This record gives sequence, structure tokens and C-alpha cells, in this order.
Amino acid sequence: MAIGAMLGDILRSLFKRPVTELYPFQRKPAPETLRGRLMYDPSKCSGCQLCIKDCPADAIELLVVDKVAKKFVMRYHEDRCTFCAQCVQSCRFSCLNMSNEQWELAQLKREPFEVMYGRDEDVQFLLERAARAETGDVECGA
Amino acid sequence: MPTQEQNQKFIVPIGPQHPALKEPGHFEFTVDGEIVTAASVRLGYVHRGIEKGTEDRTWTQNVYLLERICGICSHVHVTAYVVAVEQLAKVQAPPRAEAIRTIVAELERIHSHMLWLGVAAHEGGFDSLFMYSWRDRETVMDILETISGNRVHYSANILGGVKFDIDDQKRDFILKGLEFLEERTNHYMKIVTTDETFLGRTRNIGTMTKEQAIELGAVGPTARASGVTIDIRDSAPYSAYKTFPVNVITDETGDLLARFVVRIKELLESYRLIREILDHMPEGELAARIPRRIPAGETIHRVEAPRGELFYYVKSGGGDKPERIKVRTPSLCNWSSVINFAVGHKLADMPMILAGIDPCFSCNDRLIKIRRANQSQVWTWEDLRLHGIEYYR
Repeated sequence: MAIGAMLGDILRSLFKRPVTELYPFQRKPAPETLRGRLMYDPSKCSGCQLCIKDCPADAIELLVVDKVAKKFVMRYHEDRCTFCAQCVQSCRFSCLNMSNEQWELAQLKREPFEVMYGRDEDVQFLLERAARAETGDVECGA
Repeated sequence: MPTQEQNQKFIVPIGPQHPALKEPGHFEFTVDGEIVTAASVRLGYVHRGIEKGTEDRTWTQNVYLLERICGICSHVHVTAYVVAVEQLAKVQAPPRAEAIRTIVAELERIHSHMLWLGVAAHEGGFDSLFMYSWRDRETVMDILETISGNRVHYSANILGGVKFDIDDQKRDFILKGLEFLEERTNHYMKIVTTDETFLGRTRNIGTMTKEQAIELGAVGPTARASGVTIDIRDSAPYSAYKTFPVNVITDETGDLLARFVVRIKELLESYRLIREILDHMPEGELAARIPRRIPAGETIHRVEAPRGELFYYVKSGGGDKPERIKVRTPSLCNWSSVINFAVGHKLADMPMILAGIDPCFSCNDRLIKIRRANQSQVWTWEDLRLHGIEYYR
């Protein structure tokens, strides 16, 4: 029977540095497997849309620029994403992966959460088309 | 759920905000002076319509919805669901996948029990134990993050197998973490069983006999602390528990101290089990192929969550979405026991007694049946969603 069984721990801790990490001044390296922001490689995509079918959070959309030439743009809603990596699992052409570097995803506004992935000219083309169709553009309406 | 006749005494309402843990639940304790003479519980503050939600999502999407029933035992929920779906589809997950599932489940048990140890100590006013146990819990959280990629929702399971492998590097990382944790767990065992101030809050408090535990339908460590040998991993082994049996930990006294001792011993048992599985990892594939449409049929599956028996009923109509999924979580089974053995104790002991069963409020709030005379109505998921938005507007 004892009183103050944890006193030893507490006294020892007096002479130790706090275990709290000094984030954001010191960053612990993220593990390799960390599921951060979703990355998309348009060159391998076949447009099968299995990732969209399996996404539990409706976080990804595929905008078709040219189906025959396999030109696709992915609209990724980062704020809806649950980072479960089911899309990465579903993709048979490994054009999706989750970054272990980009995990600080806080934003002050809502707009930056909508990320467009694709070839620059395709994204540009879609943005221009969306701008031209002032209202009621179903496919690219913001 | 009133347990005793409410007399004309003073009633102390506790909750719905922060009754013991930081989750909502409402308790009414009838007191005579300082002594509680009757107790009742009201649940349902975090009802989220998850079961209804599953009917509107595909089998794959449900993996992630059901994972979010509980933030602490997320993995066992999915394991129960995924194994049930595999039974329906007559697909067997490869042995390596089952071993990995079991390792993650045991790591989850470690983090859950360590979290509980801290919370229960905090309720007893022993904050140094709370802070140190939570500091050490970071070790197992780091292990889970390293092997799965996320601290809380590991998303280890997919239908038919698991997502990731445990290679030698990860294996060494797990073993190193377990070594540290084992040393700390032995230390905590010593503290919990010898510290006089803490024993004053736990010894002979909230005692439940074996007969009471069986009668009230208690499950998990709460029942095992009263000497009931009930553990689904042992009585109906699933996944890798078939090849790697567990030793069921029980205690005879049935008081709060016994619940501490049982859970801490379970931590040690989990370390042993993980080491054993890691030493004898079966080789092979990580996942078996599973059809997108699950054949019609119904099945049940039981798993041992950190809090006790978790029960899943899954019914398929042959489509790509389930027809009905019913979940019964262990916390629900333990409520009747807690409001029964609360009677006769001091009001000040209530937070500790409540925390003693390791309740998970969000887990058990799933269905509210509103009965109105001559009125019956079936809501779709969309109706429910809109109702929820309107209700809180």
C-alpha cells in the first residue's frame, strides 16, 4: 500500500523537456503511408469512374473534355474528402495516390478546397467554358 | 429506463452535457442525502440515422460510413460488417489479411483501453495517471498511423481483405512500441492496485456479482470483471483468432478495481497476441475479389469490441446496396447494469461508476422509434436529412 505512487514519474518529469511538440515550429516527419491530399495523374486515367462510384463522400468528379482522346479533368472537393483512400484502392490504373507531404489542409475560405487536376490546357478550356456559360451550365457549373 | 420506483426524494439531473465522458447522455439520480436511491438514463442525443444511411449507399461506401459509428472502435465495426458481407458473398479473406485485421483490432483495443484508463482516472480525480497514460497512448496511435496512414479511422478493411501490408520495417516499429507500452502498463497496474488514494475510489465501489452481470446482460470487460467468462474472440472465434487463441481475462470481485485490473491485464494479453501473430504471419494475398452485387440473403456476425460484444445483422436483396443493416453496440448492453449498481453509492461516485463501463454514447444512439396514434410513415434517407437540417435551423 502506498500513497502518491505516481510521485516518482512526476518528479522525474520535472527534469525533462515537455513531450508536447512545438508545432508549427517543429514538424514531425509524416509517415510514408500517411493519407493526405489526393493526387491525380491524368495521363493514365481511362475515365472508368470507379473511384467516383466508390467514393463515400462524393468528393471527386470527373469532367470529360474529350472522351476519345482520353482528356479528363478531375474536380476534387478537399473539404468533403474523408481521406479513406478507397479511390486509390479502386483505381486499376494507379493514377490516384494520397500525398504524405501535403497534409496541412486548413484554409480560411471555401474556394481553395475545390482543386482541379488535369492538363493545364484542359483545365483552362473548362474554366473558360464555365465562364462563357453564365448560368445554368450543368456540367461545369460552380 | 427507470429501475426503481421514483420516490418523493430529491432528483439530481446530470447531463446531457458532459455527464462523465465528453459525450451527451442524461441521467437522473434520486438521492437521499448523499446516497443514490434510484437511477435512470435517457439516451438518444447523438442519433445520426446511420442505419438508414447505409440503405442509400453501396456496399463499399458503407465500409466508411459504418467505420464512423464510433471514433474509438472504428476498426471492429468495419470488421464485423466486412466479414458479414463476405459470408453473404461466400468469399473468404486470405489468411494474411485476417492476421492484419486482427493486429489492427488488437492495437485498437490497446488504444481504447489506455484512453479509458486515462478517462476513468480523471473521473476519479487522479489527473497525473490520466496525463501519463494518454502520453503513452500516443505510442500506439503513432503505430496505427504508421501502419495505416491515419490515427483514428484506419480504414484497414476493404470488402474481401485489407488495404495495406505489414512489412518488416513496420513490424519492428510495432514491436519497439509494444516493448515500451508493456513496461508502462506494468507500472500502471502497480499504481492502480497499490495507490491508497485511488483504491479508496475504486475498491468495493459499484460491485456487481456474477449472477447480476448475467441477469442484466452485461458484456465485455464489465462482465468479465464480475467473473463471467464471455469473450467473442474465445467463444466464437473469427478472423485470425481461430489460429491465435486469446486467454480470457476475468476477475472475481466485480467492483471498479476489478474493471481496472481486467482492462490492464487485457492490454498485456493484447501485446502477447500481437507479438505472436507478428512472429507467425501467414504469407499470401492481401485481398480476395468480391462482386459488386452481393447475393440476396441475410446473416449476422459478432465481434469482440474493446467494450464487449458487437453485433451486426446484414440483409442483402441482391443489389449493390444493402437492404438492412442493424448494429447493436456493447455500450447499450451495459447501461442496465450501471444504473442498477449505482444504487446505494454516493453521488460523488457516479461519474466513476458511469465511466467504469467505458460507455460510448455515440455508439449506442442509433434508432428512435416515434409512435404516433394512427400515423405511420416511412422516411427516405433524403427526408431524414432534410428533417435534420430543418430541425436545427
